[in-house]
Amino acid sequence: MIQNIKKLGYFLLFTFVTLILYLTYLVMVEGDTLATHPQNRRIAVKEAGIIRGTIYDRVGTKLAETKWLGQRGERVYLKEGKDTPFAHITGYVSDRYGSFGLEASYSKELLGLTEADVLENVLDKILNRTPQGNDLVLTLDAVLQRTALKALAGRRGAVVALNPRTGEILALASSPTFDANKIDQPGVWQQLNQDAENAPLLNRATQGAYPPGSVIKVVTGAGILSQNILQPQATVQCPGYAVIDGQRIKDNKAHGSVDFIKAIALSCNAYFALEGSKLGWGKFEEVFNQFGLNEKPEIGIPVRPGTIAQKDRRNQSQLAESAFGQGDTLLSPLHMALACSAVANRGIIMKPFLVKEIRKPDGSPVKITESTPWLTATTPQVAEQIAQGMTAAVNWGTASSASIRGIEVAGKTGTAEIQSATETAVLPHAWFIGYAPAKDPQIAVAVIVEKSGAGGRIAAPVAREVMAVALMRDER
Amino acid sequence: MLAHLRKEERSLLQYITAFLAVGIMILYLGKPELTQIYELSLSSGTKLPFWWFVVFLSVGTMAGFYLVSIYWKLLGFRCDPFLMPLTAALTSLGLIFLFRLRPQYAERQFAWLLIGLLVLVIVTTVLRKMDRLADYKYIYVAVGVILLIIPIFFGQEQYGARSWLNLGIFQIQPSEFVKILLVLFLASFLAENQRILTTGNNQLFGISIPGIREIGPLVGMWGISLLILVFQRDLGTALIYFCTFLAMIYAATARLFYVLLGLLMFLIGGTFAYHIFSHVQARVDIWLNPWIYMEGSGYQIIQSLFALGSGGLFGSGLGEGLPNLIPAVHTDFIFSAIVEELGLLGGCAVLVLYMCFIFRGLMIALACKDDFFALVTAGLTVLMGFQTFIIIAGVIKLLPMTGVTLPFISYGGSSLIANFVILGIILNISHEVNGGNDTEH
Repeated sequence: MIQNIKKLGYFLLFTFVTLILYLTYLVMVEGDTLATHPQNRRIAVKEAGIIRGTIYDRVGTKLAETKWLGQRGERVYLKEGKDTPFAHITGYVSDRYGSFGLEASYSKELLGLTEADVLENVLDKILNRTPQGNDLVLTLDAVLQRTALKALAGRRGAVVALNPRTGEILALASSPTFDANKIDQPGVWQQLNQDAENAPLLNRATQGAYPPGSVIKVVTGAGILSQNILQPQATVQCPGYAVIDGQRIKDNKAHGSVDFIKAIALSCNAYFALEGSKLGWGKFEEVFNQFGLNEKPEIGIPVRPGTIAQKDRRNQSQLAESAFGQGDTLLSPLHMALACSAVANRGIIMKPFLVKEIRKPDGSPVKITESTPWLTATTPQVAEQIAQGMTAAVNWGTASSASIRGIEVAGKTGTAEIQSATETAVLPHAWFIGYAPAKDPQIAVAVIVEKSGAGGRIAAPVAREVMAVALMRDER
Repeated sequence: MLAHLRKEERSLLQYITAFLAVGIMILYLGKPELTQIYELSLSSGTKLPFWWFVVFLSVGTMAGFYLVSIYWKLLGFRCDPFLMPLTAALTSLGLIFLFRLRPQYAERQFAWLLIGLLVLVIVTTVLRKMDRLADYKYIYVAVGVILLIIPIFFGQEQYGARSWLNLGIFQIQPSEFVKILLVLFLASFLAENQRILTTGNNQLFGISIPGIREIGPLVGMWGISLLILVFQRDLGTALIYFCTFLAMIYAATARLFYVLLGLLMFLIGGTFAYHIFSHVQARVDIWLNPWIYMEGSGYQIIQSLFALGSGGLFGSGLGEGLPNLIPAVHTDFIFSAIVEELGLLGGCAVLVLYMCFIFRGLMIALACKDDFFALVTAGLTVLMGFQTFIIIAGVIKLLPMTGVTLPFISYGGSSLIANFVILGIILNISHEVNGGNDTEH
C-alpha cells in the first residue's frame, strides 16, 4: 500500500504543478490582454484618480488630452468641423461602452500602470500627488490626416499614407468618422451603431474588406516576374478579352500587343488573367502572403487580415479573376499601402507602426519604436520592374491624374466592380496606390472611395493631394 | 525529538501571528473608511470602533491556535507539528482576505473558526482511540445517506445548488460532513476487503474481478451519493467524492483497472449528464467559451480572469486591487482575489502551502502500520487536495467552474468545521504514528 500512496502523492503533485503552470501561463502570457480588456472595469475605476496621458501627433499636435477638473478628468479629442479626425485611431474611453483604439491597447501606458511606473506610483502615493500617466507620440501627421479627410470630402472611403523607408504610418483616415467627445451623450452611441449604411465606427483603413480591383496587379505582377512565367519584355496579345478554362473574361478594351510595363500602365486585364492563372493557386497564395496581405500587423488598433478565395472555390477562372483583382479577394487599404511600399522600398516591407514614442509626463522617453524590416515581398529587380510600370501608369497610363508638377510619381489605379443584392447599377469602388517621388520614395499611399467610379478619375486625385502636401511639408 | 513537537509548532505559529498582524494592519491603515465605527453583525446594535474589531480578530485568532497547542502539550498529545501551523497560515490568509473583501464575513468566519478550534480540541480528545472507528462502517453509510437526502426535501437553494439546510440562526451544508463519512466508510471497507479486491475471485474477459459481495457496497454507496448530488445540483462536491473514491480504491488495491473503469463510467456519466441536465450543459458551455456569455452566465468567470490577469507577477498589493468586481468573491472565487492582490507569486505560495499540507498528510499515511489508518489519512488528505485542485482549476478556467470552497480560506462555516474535523482525525493518527500515549520508546 505504501507504493500506491506514494503514487497518489505524485499524482497530486502533478495536478498542483499543472495548476501552477497554467496559472503562470494565464498571468504572464494572457495577463496583459486581460488586464487591458475593454470590459475590464479596473482600468476605468483606477482612471478616476489618474491623469491619463496626452496623445500627440508626430509634430506635437495634441490629439487627445485630459482636462483635469478637480477629482475627475475629462478626455478631449482634437476636433475639426463636426468630427474628430483621429477617432478611429485614438479611439475613446467611456464608462459605459468601455474603451477602444489606442486608448484601449495603450491604457496601461497612458495611465502609468506598467511595471516601469511602479516606483513613480509609490512616490505619488507617499507624496499624495495625483498620478499622471505617460504620453504617446504617434507617427501620424495631423495636417496630412486633415488633407486626406478633406480630399475624401465626406464620401465613404479611406486613405492610408506611410513612409515606405521606415514603416511609420503618416495618415490613416477613414470616412465617415464620428465625434469621440460625444460617445457618452444620450443617443449618440445607439445612433452610431444603427447607421449600417455609413458604419461610422468602422475603421475602413484597417478593417475594411474590399475587392482590390487592378491595384492587386502589382502583387500578381511580382508573382509572374519572380516565377519566370515570362520576361518583362515578352508580349501578350490582348484582343479585349481572355479565354480561361473555356470562359471568356472581358477586358475594358483591346490593348493589342502588351509587355509587362504596358500591362501595368494601361491596366490590361487580359495580360494578368492569362499570365496570372499560369501561377497556379499555390504560387498565387505564396506571393499574396509574401506581400503581407494575409497578415495582421500589430499597430495597436484592430486590423482585418486580407483573404483570398476559400479552398473549395479555387478553380482556374476564379484564379484568373483574382489575378486582376476581382473574384473573392478582400483587402484593407492598409494592406494595399504596405504592398505599395514594398515596391517603393526595393521589395522590403518595413514593419508598420503608429506609436513612435512613449514618454513620461516630464518628456523623458520610456520607449522609442525603432524601424525594423518586416517582410521580404520580392527581389529588388522585380520591384524595379513594377516601379517602372507604375511610373509609366502616371506618365502616360491610367493613373495620369495623380501626377504632380515637378515630381515623378508612381501609381496604380483600380476599379473594383461590385455586385449588390439590394442596389441596381452600383458604381465600382475607386482604388489608387502610389508613391512619390518615384526615384526617392518618401510617402506611399493607398486610397479607396467606395461606390464612386473609376480609380483613375476618383481615387488618384485624392492620393495626389495627400502626396503633394506630404512632400511640401518635408521640403519646408 | 518528540518532546519538542509542540515547541516547534508554537515557534511556527509565531511567524503566522506576524503574518496575520501585518496583513490586517496594512488593510486597516490603508483604508481610511475603516476608521469609522463598526457595527457587529452577529449581535445587532453593538457598535465598536473599528480598531477594536481589528485587534479582536487578529489577537483572538492567534490566541486560539496557541491555546490549542498548549492544551495538547499538557495532554501529552504527540501529533504532527506542521499541520496546525499550515492550517493557521491558510485560515489567517482567509481571514485577511475576508476582512479586506467583506468585514462582516470576516467576523462570522472568525466565530466559525473559534467553533472549529473547539471541535478540533474535542476530536483530538474524544476520538483519540481511532481504531474503533473502523467498526461502524454501515452506520456511516446510513448517516451519510440521510444527511444527503434531507436537503433534497428540506433544503434551500443557494448559488444554484440545493445543498443547504436552514437551522434558523445559521445554515449548514451536510455534504461537507458526508465527505468525512465517505472516507471513513471506504477506509474500513477497503481495509477489510483489500485482498479480495486486489486479486479478485471471478474472471471477466480475462480480467479478474471480485464478486458482487465485495464490490456491491462500494458501487452502491458511490451511486447513491452521486445520484443525490445530481439532484442537489452540487457538481463540485460530486466530483470530489468521485475522485476520492477512485484514489482510495487505487491506494488499497493498486489496480489501475478500477481507475480506468471509473474514468470510463465518468465519461459515460458526464456525456449523459451533459445531454440531460441543462445546468451541466451550461457549466461546460461557459467553460468552453465564456466570452459569448459575457453579460450573463459567463460574467463571473470572466471577472475572475480579469482579476487574475490584472494581478501580474507581484499583484496590485493588499487592498489595492478591485477583486470585489467578482461576484461571490468571498466564497468560490477568493483565490482570484488573492492572485489579483498578491500576484502570481502569492497565488503560487498558497498552492505551495496546500502542497505542504498534502505532503505532511501523506507522510503520516505512509508511516501508518495499520491499513485502516493509512487509508483514512490518505483518503482525507487527497480529499483536501482534490477539493483545492477542483476549485482553483475552476476559477482559472482550467476546468469547468464547480462551486466548492477553498479549504480553510473561503468563507463557509460547514466547510471550515468539517475541515477542522479532518485535521483532527489526521492529527489523531499522527499521534498514534508517533507512539501514542506510551511514555517511553
